[in-house]
Amino acid sequence: MSSFPPGLIMILAAIGLPFIPHVWRQIFMLGAIALSATGLLAGAGTHLVWSVMGFDLILYQADNLSLPFAIIFHIAAALNVIYSWHDRAWQQHCAALSYAGAAIAALHAGDLVSLFVWWEATAVTSVFLILASGTERARHAAMRYLLFQVTSGVILLAGAALLASQTGSIAFTRMELGDLASWLVFIAFGIKAAFPFLNGWLQDAYPEATATGTVALSAFTTKLAIYALARGFPGTELLIWIGAAMTALPVFFAVIENDLRRVLAFSLNNQLGFMVVAVGVGSELALNGAAAHAFVHIIYKALLFMSMGAVLHQVGTVKASALGGLYRQMPFTMVCCIIGAMSISAFPLFSGFVAKSLTMSALGETGMIWAYFVLLFASAGVLEHSGIKIPYFAFFAHDSKHKTGEAPINMRVAMGIAAFMCVAIGVFPSVLYGILPYAVEYHPYDAAHVSSQMQLLIFAMLAFVVLIRLKLYPPEIPSVVLNSDWFYRRLFPRIGRPLLSAVMLVWGSFLCQMTGYINAFWDELDKIMHSPVGGPTVSGRAVMIQAGLLSLLLAIIYATAG
Amino acid sequence: MTKSHKNNPSSVSPSGLSPSGLSGLGHKFTLVLLVIGVLLVALELFVHRHGVNAVEESFLFPAIYGFVAFLFIVQVGKWLRLLIMRPEDYYDE
Repeated sequence: MSSFPPGLIMILAAIGLPFIPHVWRQIFMLGAIALSATGLLAGAGTHLVWSVMGFDLILYQADNLSLPFAIIFHIAAALNVIYSWHDRAWQQHCAALSYAGAAIAALHAGDLVSLFVWWEATAVTSVFLILASGTERARHAAMRYLLFQVTSGVILLAGAALLASQTGSIAFTRMELGDLASWLVFIAFGIKAAFPFLNGWLQDAYPEATATGTVALSAFTTKLAIYALARGFPGTELLIWIGAAMTALPVFFAVIENDLRRVLAFSLNNQLGFMVVAVGVGSELALNGAAAHAFVHIIYKALLFMSMGAVLHQVGTVKASALGGLYRQMPFTMVCCIIGAMSISAFPLFSGFVAKSLTMSALGETGMIWAYFVLLFASAGVLEHSGIKIPYFAFFAHDSKHKTGEAPINMRVAMGIAAFMCVAIGVFPSVLYGILPYAVEYHPYDAAHVSSQMQLLIFAMLAFVVLIRLKLYPPEIPSVVLNSDWFYRRLFPRIGRPLLSAVMLVWGSFLCQMTGYINAFWDELDKIMHSPVGGPTVSGRAVMIQAGLLSLLLAIIYATAG
Repeated sequence: MTKSHKNNPSSVSPSGLSPSGLSGLGHKFTLVLLVIGVLLVALELFVHRHGVNAVEESFLFPAIYGFVAFLFIVQVGKWLRLLIMRPEDYYDE
């Protein structure tokens, strides 16, 4: 069993789900996840290789980098099973379990071709979580999502094929950005990591998934990409620039977005930026920071999405303009949401603090001071949209007078576990530090560091209070905020459709004209052939074709003979 | 659901006594923040914060940076609304 790739068993188990009755299905899923997790006990090393056509497909390879990701992916999968316990239909469970399984299998792929297979598998399994919403809007978003995800995979395969032709090896090892092959792999990773302008699918699709589906989506795809970047491109300076842009830009969009799950999607993009910067720095401390950030981020982002999913489940909407005052009806969800909000904002004693400190320290050591201050700025941004906006507009702001109650018990249990983990890791960071890729001797809780972070957060919150009291804080307005998906949802169709019809018009009239010429030619020929000197008995066209072929044949014979 | 409802915690009576529990909560929250803020300023006089450079080590730098960054983000957000905010059914046609 030890050489059986983790994750694969979850995909196999997912096939059986439709045939198992509800409740037992959930227990069966938890069992499959636990069984998959036991595969991690095999430890570091290459455990399963399959030789095909002269290439070694490394199906199970583990090391210190894959371990923290593998652990948190299993935890996230289990949390999702609990959170969606109330769902009696098998479809979403099937999608979520196989999606998590594919992501875990991808972590353990030691070559680019196996990685490609699992990379695409995460796409085709997860899309059902969006489709399950059942709305026309979700269906369109799901198709756009799938298009991006599959394209990412195809680009990855192209890069892998090119690498194989150059080096004869498909092994997934560290690469230097330079030739076309490495760029293709880099861009494939970049699409899933939601680089600037490649990020439209994330904010577009995630908020359209079901209440439970978004929780699963938030955990795997993007963090798989972070892992892939950390394995393939650590220390690539370009990533610091890209990551810094990712931390800062979504912040402004999140301020004005009305759909709170979309706010969280922008926030997710911002958090990925921190991890991308850490990978770009590439030192041991920084890679620890990337892994630690991914680890805690999956928990608190899932917690935030769970709390908004609970609101969606109970109220039927997560539009900030239609929410408010739910702290009375959903106190437990509110507390969990605030714990998630404080974790993502990196309050001391919460999980975000102990992880983000690693990245910030590593970045400070590089001397790239501008990037350091951009990330500090983005930290205030995280506080704004995830720390304050999410809990404030959902649970406080004004009384929206929704008649509702707490979320189902299973949702509360899942949120409770996630909230507990946020605090536990924040209070006992050594638990997290123990599983990071490199041995660390790091102490986040020194007086200077804590007081810096508290100053930043508390005075940013005071700025919020000032804005609210002076009525300068922008009100929530039912609206759509344009993002990079606008280019292909609006601009390209707007330019492309008229352009296409213009081209078709020209082409059509050209064909029409040509047909006219050809007909006129034959007509002329018919006239000549029907009134020749000797009087015709056969159709002129046939004679002409025969004569033409004959002369062609003669020409060829003359040419070869001459 | 009208705009006047949005900034509710600020729409509190001068006495601070409001029938809505929300404004009471808002007041308590502000008070707690202010107390922590004052404590942090006091602490700044005693704790030497080491930063990546002299700017970060300057007096109350994180506090000022956080405060200004927050105002900046919200202001840019307001401007951004003029540019990229569309009706809810923008893509639905």
